[in-house]
Amino acid sequence: MRPLLAGTLQQRRRSIIWWSVGVSAFILLTLIFYPTIHSQSDQLNKSLGHLSQTTKQLFTDTGDLFSPLGYLSSQLFYLMLPLLLSVLAISLGTSLIGREERDSTIELLLSRPVSRTRYLLAKAAAGTLIVAAVGLISTIVTIIICKAVDLEVPAPDILAAGAAVILLSLSLGALAFFVAALGRAGRSASIGIASVYGLGGYIIYSLSQSIDWLKGPAKLFPFSYYHASELLTGSYNWLNALFFVALALFFTLLAWLVFRRRDLLGS
Amino acid sequence: MVTKDAAITIEKLSKRYGAGQKFAVKDLSLQVMPGEVYGFLGPNGAGKSTTIRLMMNFIFPSGGRASILGKDAVKDSVEVKRQVGYLAGEIALYQKMTGRQLLDYLSQLHPGSRRYISELAERFQADLDARIRDLSKGNRQKIGLIQAFMHKPKVLILDEPTSGLDPLMQEEFFGLLKETTKTGGSVFFSSHNLAEVQRICDRIGFIREGELIAEQTIADIAQAAARTFDITFIDKAPAADLRAISGASVSVKNGRQATVGLRGDLSPLFKVLAKHKVASITQRELNLEDEFMHLYKGDGQ
Repeated sequence: MRPLLAGTLQQRRRSIIWWSVGVSAFILLTLIFYPTIHSQSDQLNKSLGHLSQTTKQLFTDTGDLFSPLGYLSSQLFYLMLPLLLSVLAISLGTSLIGREERDSTIELLLSRPVSRTRYLLAKAAAGTLIVAAVGLISTIVTIIICKAVDLEVPAPDILAAGAAVILLSLSLGALAFFVAALGRAGRSASIGIASVYGLGGYIIYSLSQSIDWLKGPAKLFPFSYYHASELLTGSYNWLNALFFVALALFFTLLAWLVFRRRDLLGS
Repeated sequence: MVTKDAAITIEKLSKRYGAGQKFAVKDLSLQVMPGEVYGFLGPNGAGKSTTIRLMMNFIFPSGGRASILGKDAVKDSVEVKRQVGYLAGEIALYQKMTGRQLLDYLSQLHPGSRRYISELAERFQADLDARIRDLSKGNRQKIGLIQAFMHKPKVLILDEPTSGLDPLMQEEFFGLLKETTKTGGSVFFSSHNLAEVQRICDRIGFIREGELIAEQTIADIAQAAARTFDITFIDKAPAADLRAISGASVSVKNGRQATVGLRGDLSPLFKVLAKHKVASITQRELNLEDEFMHLYKGDGQ
């Protein structure tokens, strides 16, 4: 499995670098203006005071947009970082097997003594490592910039939030991986299905804070188990993260079940 | 009859891509013996590549089975591939890699297959340091052939292997095939190039619409083939007597020259010739292509 894993990481090295640079630049641009915004927080809070709870819930789960915790959550950890990392995970889930199959290079690899199980596990491991690496780099960059701009949120809590973002993204990436593993129809649908599940979950969870009957359905989506403010204050119940892990393992298992017994697409 | 020590055994192999769809391959049975080069011929869409993809377990059979060196192509797929060298018809390589990087990568997936690379690269005069996307079709094909041969496989499954190779490199390739079969290796070879099939194959299977319609050795084909004779008579050609021969096609030129095509037993022709004065008789070289077209068009069953 190791050569396949190393080969995949090698082929993706440029994209790993560019994703890391891009997400880090976004984090820098987001956090660098915190001192200016913080100094005007009273006025800004007043002017945003008229927003409804439902609207505020779409941006933050702290209720406060300009305190160190509120700013970090609303600008980064509540939506944008999970969104960016999920886009990476979903695109990897779609392309790790899908692109090789489209290009027929998969036949070159499977004409060697390599089982489909080994092949699929290597691709799943490569996707996990890439998302984890970009997520970890982003988290470390966040910690460094927070220190530099006196945004006082403890580093271990930022690290915990980063870990949860990685797990959340992996669960959506695994869904895309499974749908893409179905073959031709799945490959074109995988980005759409995983994005709708991820973004839909975010909207339904946010609305469920104000609309009671959505609380039940919201539990079917991973975003319900991701609580940025709790993560950033060290009060997160990590049992919630089991949902991400279970979902990722479940979809990977489904991907294996369909991929091991289906025809590869022809060239 | 199925022989146990065959290198490749295909028994009633069928493939249908969906319920209600036509069979791409239907009830195909054949064997390739150790040391044999088996040519697999057929028009486009006949089922050649489907058969090869079934043997490589890239697709699953709807019925029947294929086994290579006694191992099932589906259940023992990984074991089978330790002993098989494969070249796809339209070979897909990683465009951004160099030939050397690609072959290194593939040899890591098949430990012990690295040491033969340099020798093959030298024989094929392959440039292993250029990026694959910058190589011509012929040079990419060389990389494809090196990856198929580099682990010295006991069975080679090759789909249009000489496509894009110049004549010199084709010679090198034929030499390599001979070396493989000399040591007991077997080759399953799909091709459109009848001249090369005639030259290197021991036996040929013709496939049409997914079914094996004929399987013959080159010697059998030569024996059963229509032979064409150009005959010059001293006097007028006996056109009526020649046309009276069952199955003969006859054309007469200049009154004295006759061209006679005849399949199977030639004695009726010679009986006619014995009664007349013949100035010269020449037999045209066997045209495998005509034989192929004869089967291809469906009048060979």
